[in-house]
Parts: sequence; structure tokens; C-alpha cells
Amino acid sequence: MINPSKTKKRAYSVGARQKAFPWIVPLASVRLTLALLSFSMILIFVATLEQVRIGIRGAQAEYFESFYGIWYYPEQFWGGSFLNAVPLPIPGGYLLGGLLIINLIAAFITRFQWSGKKMGIQIIHLGIILLLIGQMTTQAIQVESRMLINKGESSNYIERFHGVELAITDVTDANRSKVVSIPEELLKPDSTIRVPGFPLKVKVRAFGPNCSFNFKDSPSMRSAITSNVNQGIGASANLSLTPLDEDFSNDAANFGYLVYQLIDGSKELGTWLAVSHPAGNDRWKMVHPKLEGMAFQPLRHAGKLWGMELRSKREYLPYSIELLKIENEFYQGTDIPHNFESHVNLNLESGQKRKALVYMNTPLRHAGKTFYQYQMNKAADYTVFQVIRNPSWLVPYIACILLSVGLLWQFSFHLVNFLRKQSKVSA
Amino acid sequence: MYLNTFTRFNFSQFWVLSLFLLGFISCTEEAEIQTYYIEPEYDGPVVAWKLPPTWGENPELSGPMAGSFHVKTDAGPQGRIGVMPFREAVSTLSITNMFGMELGYDRFTEDSLKTVMTQKKVGNKEFEWVRLTEHNATQDPKMALLAVYRQEDETWLFPFVANANLINQEMNAFLAFLDSTTLRAGKKVIRAARPVSSPPVSKPKGAPTWEAPKHWVAGKASSVRIASYLVKDEKGNELDFSITSFPGDVGGLLSNVNRWLSQVDLPKIENSTSSPLLSSFKLDDKDAHLLLAENTEKTIYGALLFGPSQSWFFKIMGDTSLAKVEKENFLNLLNSVCFHDH
Repeated sequence: MINPSKTKKRAYSVGARQKAFPWIVPLASVRLTLALLSFSMILIFVATLEQVRIGIRGAQAEYFESFYGIWYYPEQFWGGSFLNAVPLPIPGGYLLGGLLIINLIAAFITRFQWSGKKMGIQIIHLGIILLLIGQMTTQAIQVESRMLINKGESSNYIERFHGVELAITDVTDANRSKVVSIPEELLKPDSTIRVPGFPLKVKVRAFGPNCSFNFKDSPSMRSAITSNVNQGIGASANLSLTPLDEDFSNDAANFGYLVYQLIDGSKELGTWLAVSHPAGNDRWKMVHPKLEGMAFQPLRHAGKLWGMELRSKREYLPYSIELLKIENEFYQGTDIPHNFESHVNLNLESGQKRKALVYMNTPLRHAGKTFYQYQMNKAADYTVFQVIRNPSWLVPYIACILLSVGLLWQFSFHLVNFLRKQSKVSA
Repeated sequence: MYLNTFTRFNFSQFWVLSLFLLGFISCTEEAEIQTYYIEPEYDGPVVAWKLPPTWGENPELSGPMAGSFHVKTDAGPQGRIGVMPFREAVSTLSITNMFGMELGYDRFTEDSLKTVMTQKKVGNKEFEWVRLTEHNATQDPKMALLAVYRQEDETWLFPFVANANLINQEMNAFLAFLDSTTLRAGKKVIRAARPVSSPPVSKPKGAPTWEAPKHWVAGKASSVRIASYLVKDEKGNELDFSITSFPGDVGGLLSNVNRWLSQVDLPKIENSTSSPLLSSFKLDDKDAHLLLAENTEKTIYGALLFGPSQSWFFKIMGDTSLAKVEKENFLNLLNSVCFHDH
């Protein structure tokens, strides 16, 4: 006679599942797991070395937020003078992480025993899979920005730490301003951009993520890149600039630049230079009075006044945050900060106000964004929040809970069995 | 084992991997141009206009100008039109006197202002409309048409300074220009930047250079004044030095000399060749006229140069005692003038 429960068990047995999904079996290989983990260790080692050279942000982008990275053996290491010339491809975080997820899922399907005895291990691995997926999703869709608020004022926009945009704002209407923003990805040299909602075409002459600049006495003394600039602050201040590589270090201050022409039909109206200040364009006036206009280079056309600026990529929010008070505390007798606090009012879309206190490791969460205390300048009376939009922020918490439950289950199972055996022996 | 693993790699595995990676890549943001509306953030003044096709923009803005224009003619740029924002209410009397003195008018009073001022509605804006025509000019006199617009505490002045014929010819363009303007004062005063159209020249064509005495204090230039200096002594006496330039001969030698004489309360002269106050001299090797007119309280020294298309006036006027002291400096300045054209 056939026992249905045994038949069912057989259908879910490892062998049965391997038969049902034979093409998954090689992906579940333990050796593949070990190889991937080994490569992960190499990746971490290489990225740690490179962090010294290109900074945390650079190493992260080159090795972890990519499918592969190219590494050059350091010259100062043994044999470096020969090996340094050879580019070594290193599997990136996305590739290793992605393969590890597939490997784990494949193992889950074709190798793990689906029984109460092994349930803990399954839950632990499920937690690890979730942790990996959460991390990769975070890297892919998390957006980091900052919000600077002066004391007594409120702000309703956040600006990205990296990346700039050309913003052209029509300020003619007293009740609302129209903004047209062109992200840096579209600012390719020699490209002509037709901008919906803006009557002129933008022709990009030069663009770069970072530069150094200085004033010259006459236009003829300017560098080649700005020699044709004949409008705006670049022309009136006789600015000359030298392109630089983007700085990925922690204290990086990248001044993005853009040289562009405006074209009305087929008529060229002139060439402008725009430079973005890494701390926000309202800081230009503190750099030099001549540069204050970088925050608003006026353009009058067809009865309208437009202001142009190259600025950090900006996102406007349907709510605003008002800074009421800031406080900072230091460890006694040192300059080491102990606590930064910002007392704020969250002015909600509905018109309601919510008071909040933002301090180290205690952020303000609202509408999918988390506002962490980031910087503060009590002398200048402003605070800066680091703003994170991470739709998958809950995933690591859930993964950790699963890991804990899995470990608890597995240890409890073994403990109970052990105690049972002990009691039988003593009986 | 590894070889075995990879030889068993089939299409199903390939698709699983590809879909996974594609799905992952598609999570990243796509760059695109965005257009959206925000609450106004800009707190500077908003001055915008539609430029008549017969006008051009002047590249350099001086003094309180937010915009400066000229009329394009076959003979080159003619006349000056400006946009001057004042954050506070400025009386029409002050504005009229500022331009009237240049055109030979005596100082206006509230009563005499009424003789040159009317109200004019252009589109939905109400302007105070002041017409000043140069005194003593024979034909095609110089004219200043002043349109003053008031909005809460703000005052906007649109001066149109040119020969009367040109102003009359461009009247419709001026009215269309006024109608097209958007005017809003801001919290901070900024000057309009350079215009977007290619301007013909940055200064009046052939503008000279000069060397002024170090103790003369440079003042603000304006649409009319190329240069301005204030000279003071310890007693508080003052002299005002200016260099002005106008297209054409703006009435000729006699009318300009008589206008200047009237400013220091001296009688007009009948003939420019026989007057002891007037003499010929060379200004940078060009034939020019020198006026040295001293009265008991006020004195005026001036040089007049009439070029083929542009006239130049160098004038110092004020307290007689101080003028006598500075006479030598004035003449030295005239000697230093260079038009850089030879």
C-alpha cells in the first residue's frame, strides 16, 4: 500500500527537486559559493588599497557599484615597476553579489533539506539572501542628498552630493517661477540641446566635473576653454579656468563648469560660463563679490527674465523644514563634537506643523526620506542634513530578524534534542 | 567538476542570469530634462522687456541703469534709452531737474514742472510723462523724454535722450517698449547683466582717455556722463566736473555755450567768434573751443569738441574761488585727453 505522506515527502526530497530543476544544480555548487566569497575578499582588499588613492566614494563607484573594476598593481609593492602596467580586471560588487544571490537561491531549491530539522538553516540563508538583495537594491536606488537651512529660515529642496544640472529659471511671474533643468548626463560637449519650455537652444562647448579658476586682467589672458566667453560673469570677471579630475575624497570640493552658447533660431546670442559651487551657489558671494552673480546670470529674452546657473542636482519637496534652533556640544576640553542638535519645524503639505529634534543617529523620517544631522555651523547659524531616499531601508532589518530567528530555531532544535537525549540516558 | 559545471550551462541558465542583471540595471535613474514650477525664490529686481526691432542694446551699463539701448540708424547708433530702477520713491521734480540742467533749463519748481509734465497711460501702466527740449537750439534740438512709472514705493525711470526728430520718429517703438516691460523691485539691488544681443560698441564710439588729478573724486557715470568727478576744498566749496558725449552737434557751439553761461548766471553771447570768454584750442590735435567764464559766485570752464558724428563736452562748474584754484588742473586734464585715433 502506498503511504501518501511518504509520497509527498519524496516529491519534495532533494533528489526529486534536483531532478525537477536539473539546470539549477550547477548554480548551487558550494565550490561556486567559495569561489565567489574568495573573489569578494580580493575585491575588498583591492578596494581598500584603492581607497587611499581615489577616496571612499571613488573606490565605491569603481569596485562595488559596478560589474567589474580595473586595478593596477601598486608600483610601491614588490615587482610593482613591471606589474603596474598590466590592467587587472576585478569582479565588481554587482557581479559578485548578483551571483551569490543566484547561488544561494539555487542551493535553496536543489540542495537544502526542507525539513523542520533544517528549518533554521533555511531561514538563516533566506536572511542572507534578503541582506544581499537589500544591499544591492540600496546601492542601485538609494539617493543621497543634502539640505542646508539657515537659522530662522526654511528650505523645501534637497541637493545631490554628486552631479550638477544647468537650471534656467523664468522669474518674470511674481507668483511662481518656471524651472527648466538639464542634468549633467546631457551636457555633452558639442551637443545642441533643445529644451522644452525654453525658447532658446543650448549648445554645450565644454563641461567638466571639476576645475580651478582665477581672474585675469584681460580676455586675451584667459585659458582656451573660456577664451570665447563673452557674456555673463565669466566675461565681466575675466575668468580663466583649468579643468581638473573629479575629486572623490571625503573632503572633496568639486567646482563643476559649463561653457555654453545660447542660440535663437540660427542666431548665436553669446557664450556663457557657469561654475557650480560645491556648497551651493549662494556661497559664491563669500568667495568673491565678482562671483556673486554665478547664482543668477540674467538673460532677458522676449519680455521675460531668466536666471541661469550650474548647480548641484536639485529636488523640490512638497513640504519644507524650518530651522528653529541649533545646538552643539563638545567633549570637555576638546574640539571633538559630542552632539549636534537641530530643532526644526516640519511644515507639512497639509499646512500642519510638526516639531522635531534631529541629532546624531536620530534622524527625522518623512515621506520616504530620512534626514540625518550631517554638518552644522553655529557661528554662521546653519545646519546641513544628509537626506537619504532608500525605499528598501526596511529590508536589512527584516533580514536581521530572519537571521536571528533562524539561529534561534537551529540552536533551540539542537538543544531540545540534546536535552531529550540526556533525559533518556539518565532515565 | 568546474568544467562539468560550466559545460552544463544551458540557455535557461543564461536567461535567468540575463533577466536578473537587466532587472537590476533598469533600477538606475534615467537622465532627462525637467520642467516644473516653484514658489518664487529670486529676490532681485525683475526688469524684462521686448526690444523694438529698430533698437539695439548697449553693452556696458553705468550708474543705476538696469538696461541701456540705442536706436539703430544708417549713421550708426543714435540716442540713448535707459531703464533706471529706484528702490525708493524719487520725486519727478528731482528727476526732471537732473536732466533739465543738461538741456539748459533753470531749476524746476513744483509749479514750473507742471508746464512740462503730463500723465500718460501706456497699456495698463500709468506714466508721468516729461518732455524737455533743449533751450536755444535752432533746428532738431536735443530732447529728453522722461517716462516715470510708480509702483508701490518703487520708481522706474525710462529716459529717452536724443534729437527731437529721432524721438518723434521712434515714439511708437518707445510706447511699445514701455508696454512690454515687466517691472518688479527686489530686496537686493542688482544691475542687469550684459544684454544677450551683440552690442555695437561698449562706449560712445571713439571715447577718449584722460588723466584726472588724484584729489578729484570719481563719481558715477551715467547714460549722459562718460565721466564724473567731484572736487572739494576744506571749506566745503565744490566743483562738478563732467565729460559728456552726444550724437551730432546737439545745437552747435553758440547754443551750448549760451546754455552753459546761463548756468552761472552770465549773459548770453551773440557771436562765438568775438566773445572774450571763448577761444579756439587744440584738444588732442583736434580743433576745439575753450570757455572760461567766471562770475562772482559761480564759474564754468569748459571745452567743446564737435566731431563728424559725435560731440564731446568737458566741463567743470561750481564755486568761483575753488574754480580758480583748480583751473590749472582742468587745463592739464584737457592736455592729457587722448582719442587714440591718430
